[in-house]
Amino acid sequence: MGMAQLEDVLSRRPISRSRRRRRTFYTFISPWLIGFVLFAVFPLAFGFAISLTNYDGLNLFNLDFVALRNYSTAFQDPNVAYTFNRTLVWTALNLPIWLVLSFLMAVIANRKVKGIGLFRTLFYLPSVIPAVGLVWTWKILLEQNFGLLNAILDYFRPGIAVGWLTNQAMYGVTAMAVWSGLGAGMIVFLAGLQGVPDELVEAARIDGANNLRVFWHVTLPMMTPVIFFQVVMGLISAFQQLTIPWLATTNSSIGVPPRSIYLYMINVYQQIFGVGRFGYGMALLWLLIAGIILLTLAVFRTQRYWVYSEAEEQA
Amino acid sequence: MILSREKTRAASAKTLKRLSGFLSYGLLIGVAFLLMLPIIWLLITSLKQNTEYLSYPIVFLPAVPQWNNYAQVFAPVFHFLRHAGMTTLLAASFSTLCVFSSALSGYAFARYRDVDASRKLFGLIVALLMIPSIVTMIPSFMVFAKLHLTGTYWPWILWGLAGSPYHIFLFRQFFLSFPKELEDAAEVDGCTPFGTFWRIFLPNARAAVATSFIINFMWVWGDWLTPRIYLRADNTTLAVLINTVFVNPQGQLLTTLTISGIVIYTLPIVVIFFLSQRYILKGMLTSGLAGR
Amino acid sequence: MDTQKTDKPVRLTRREMLKLSGTLAVGTLLAACGPSATPEATTAPSTTAPEVTEAPVTVPTAAAVTGNVVVMHKVQQGELTEDMVAQFEAENPGITVEAVQDDLTRFFAMYAAGNPPDLVRVQAPSVPPYLARGMLYDLTPYFEASSVLRPDDLAPANNYYKAEDPLHVGSGRLYGMCKDWSPDFTLYAYKTAFADKGITLPSETEPLTYQQAYDLGAQLATFDGDRVTMFGFDYPDMWVDRIWMNILGEVGSLLYADDYTQIVLAGNETAQEVLQYFYNHAKDRLGAVGSINPSPNWIGDDFDKGLVGLLMYGYWFSAMAETDVTTGQVLFIPGPTWTGVRRDPTMTATGMVMSAISQVPDAAWKVFEWYNGGQPSLDRAGSGWGVPALISQYALMPNATPFQNQVQAVLQGELALDTPPLQFNPYLGETTVANAWLQYLQQAVAGDISFDQMLTNIEFDVNTAIQDGIAAIG
Repeated sequence: MGMAQLEDVLSRRPISRSRRRRRTFYTFISPWLIGFVLFAVFPLAFGFAISLTNYDGLNLFNLDFVALRNYSTAFQDPNVAYTFNRTLVWTALNLPIWLVLSFLMAVIANRKVKGIGLFRTLFYLPSVIPAVGLVWTWKILLEQNFGLLNAILDYFRPGIAVGWLTNQAMYGVTAMAVWSGLGAGMIVFLAGLQGVPDELVEAARIDGANNLRVFWHVTLPMMTPVIFFQVVMGLISAFQQLTIPWLATTNSSIGVPPRSIYLYMINVYQQIFGVGRFGYGMALLWLLIAGIILLTLAVFRTQRYWVYSEAEEQA
Repeated sequence: MILSREKTRAASAKTLKRLSGFLSYGLLIGVAFLLMLPIIWLLITSLKQNTEYLSYPIVFLPAVPQWNNYAQVFAPVFHFLRHAGMTTLLAASFSTLCVFSSALSGYAFARYRDVDASRKLFGLIVALLMIPSIVTMIPSFMVFAKLHLTGTYWPWILWGLAGSPYHIFLFRQFFLSFPKELEDAAEVDGCTPFGTFWRIFLPNARAAVATSFIINFMWVWGDWLTPRIYLRADNTTLAVLINTVFVNPQGQLLTTLTISGIVIYTLPIVVIFFLSQRYILKGMLTSGLAGR
Repeated sequence: MDTQKTDKPVRLTRREMLKLSGTLAVGTLLAACGPSATPEATTAPSTTAPEVTEAPVTVPTAAAVTGNVVVMHKVQQGELTEDMVAQFEAENPGITVEAVQDDLTRFFAMYAAGNPPDLVRVQAPSVPPYLARGMLYDLTPYFEASSVLRPDDLAPANNYYKAEDPLHVGSGRLYGMCKDWSPDFTLYAYKTAFADKGITLPSETEPLTYQQAYDLGAQLATFDGDRVTMFGFDYPDMWVDRIWMNILGEVGSLLYADDYTQIVLAGNETAQEVLQYFYNHAKDRLGAVGSINPSPNWIGDDFDKGLVGLLMYGYWFSAMAETDVTTGQVLFIPGPTWTGVRRDPTMTATGMVMSAISQVPDAAWKVFEWYNGGQPSLDRAGSGWGVPALISQYALMPNATPFQNQVQAVLQGELALDTPPLQFNPYLGETTVANAWLQYLQQAVAGDISFDQMLTNIEFDVNTAIQDGIAAIG
């Protein structure tokens, strides 16, 4: 090959190379991309389309396009208001407890003692247990007549039999949800704690700060990005709780969770699979998505006020 | 004089350290015990007779441990093994497909960052991490119903092929750390892009592959809602089965038998977790998923 | 839901949360035409029937009937077993039966895919909604030509499957039949519970009033602190609206407006009294009600364990009422009355219908005929799990033990009553009203809402559902 030809080839390669790379890239991500369109975008759009009809699972021949009527009904439906309220209560109860307790657990698990790995593993174990296992573990604790908790309470106050999974289900289910989420929360906070630069802690110590002050003035502020992440993920998760409350409070004679734990997604599920109001259920689902997005954006907005950001520091 | 004062100070410092050590351990053991209490109660209950469970006042320990409960779980009438086998097959198939699809995508996102759209698309993946699967699961059901695919395992096959944002993220982070020379050498050797992925990057990603496979497997094993909606009673997964299947001829749910079934159902997950916890926990600690 | 009552009492189905809220559309076209053709003349049924069934009538045989019939039924609960299917297929070569487990979500999926089951297990409340949507195959010609299922041999409970139109059930075209039935308002008294409290047992001939039943329940209910050690008076809470309808029937009143487009509670004095009764019952925790006063398992099982003093269940429960705990201690008495008028229909009338768009109606009819008039029906009749759907099979009901004797004696009285079927709302699902009731009852009993607010909420929910139903039917 002559010099000129070589130069030709060399000068041509950059263009075709990038095109080749682009083609490879898209080929490689095509399963995901196609799947994304088919199993995420299309169903969501389809679901939205259904929400504009009165589809009740089967009336395909009598389908009415009702535009936004399902949505306006949702705003007037006392059930929707009630379940939304219940979900807010659930979130307000669960999120802070989970955040604080898993943070504390991370602090406890952050010690450099021998065998800490075993303890961390044990702490994480409850999070590993699948939902069905979790529910049954706690059902035998919280059962009204035969559960361990009431048996213990009965010792102190004979005759008591609290309905932890019926009229006080909000508390009973919270207990199991928190217990299950501690490990996962702990790991994230642990990673965050280990990301706090040692020099800062040392510097504070040298300046005479005791453990508490170090924690409050150095560790905690440095952890705010992690806390922020956890708050956002926790919110999103809390708003679409379904499986655990459902499994925990229903059985052969109770087909639908009690009012005290009747969360938003439970109503959506019931509307679709219990009563057959697919169109209405889809509308409720879309309202939930919108609500979660709005809430997340709102939380993102507050970042400025309390979340420490390295980028800002450097700027 | 001075020496003995120093010695006392050193001695008391040591005692203080030992005391703080004890406190640490005490705290750790205490927390661990509190957390394990429900699990301990679960195991105790699994060894009781149903009448012992249903008694008031409460019977704390069984009179005679009913190891037989565990044998009864496998009684033919409950079809436990059959559904366990089907669940294993489903989980393994899904996990295999998902791991490879996600690894491929993750590799592309990691090593092809020069492609224009890759950053935007990856941003999409990160955003998708926050969307709960339930919002697509129910409309998907309607689509699958139209395609006659409900009541089959096809949805899982298709979902596996599509990969998952979480795992794509995992693999991308993992593949980011590989040196560029590896790719260049492979290209010079005439390796195709897929060949580079398949023969060079993937074999070196054992930890990520294992982690991803395990997480996927555990997800299918533990999922209740999806099989509850999509599958039928005769081909559903173990998670759905054990909730209601342990019933006596009079129609009564046998709680202690169910609990034994739950223990057996949960055991593989726990064992896998203990065997691989180093990978999983460390992977979570260092993957950078925290706080980003 | 995981709300299975996988129980022997085949009539006590699982919590019907998952029953349709009147759905189905495909078939509206065909419904307009009615059955496409008169059925082929059938050969005599191939049953090994004892003398009670008629000698088979030979009818000119047409071409052998073939096809694959899909039957949605309670397979796992033993109502349609593999053995039964094998027996049928052996006697009817050419017809294959595919039994599918009764499951609402599956039902949705099958209809959405365009191929519903040919035969479906239903209860009476589904007939008006299905009929309104044109889902049902008019089986009258088949019945008239059948020698096994003769229209004049059908027990009164089958009137639930007869209708002129969805708003007039009770006579007219035949769309299905029961597999068996019971007068559902009868009561079971646990003698030991009465004896412990020193209460005299109720009469076997004179019915109690609802108020008397309430008082008995109050006397029988025993608590240890918060725990219930004996339920006073249990009734099936998922069917409470049917109990209301029966009571209102005594005074000629309806739960709904005349055209069934609304439920009327606040504006109906008797209805208010009735609901007040059940509200008090829940508040005083006289019996197991949903999650307000949960049953350890289900009320039938509770009775079997000697935990219930007075239980309202139909004749079918007598097959399982006597256990180690309760043997010899069960008294079967007539159903209660509100005003003195006696009505004791079935509230469920579990049976079978055929899909209007079935591709194999003749083959499906053979399966239908076999299940409801052939060997399976004889087996059911002799099992004591229900009053047979065919009057000619009444004599097969078990009558051997003293308890069965006592039950039969009281049962004759109930069967002698001539109660018209309850008219269910064609725009509602089977459990819409009961669900709404149980939901708001929880809040009312807890004091979060007033009784009147509860009525208003129930009316709102039910009326909204009715409007949806009306719109979906078109």
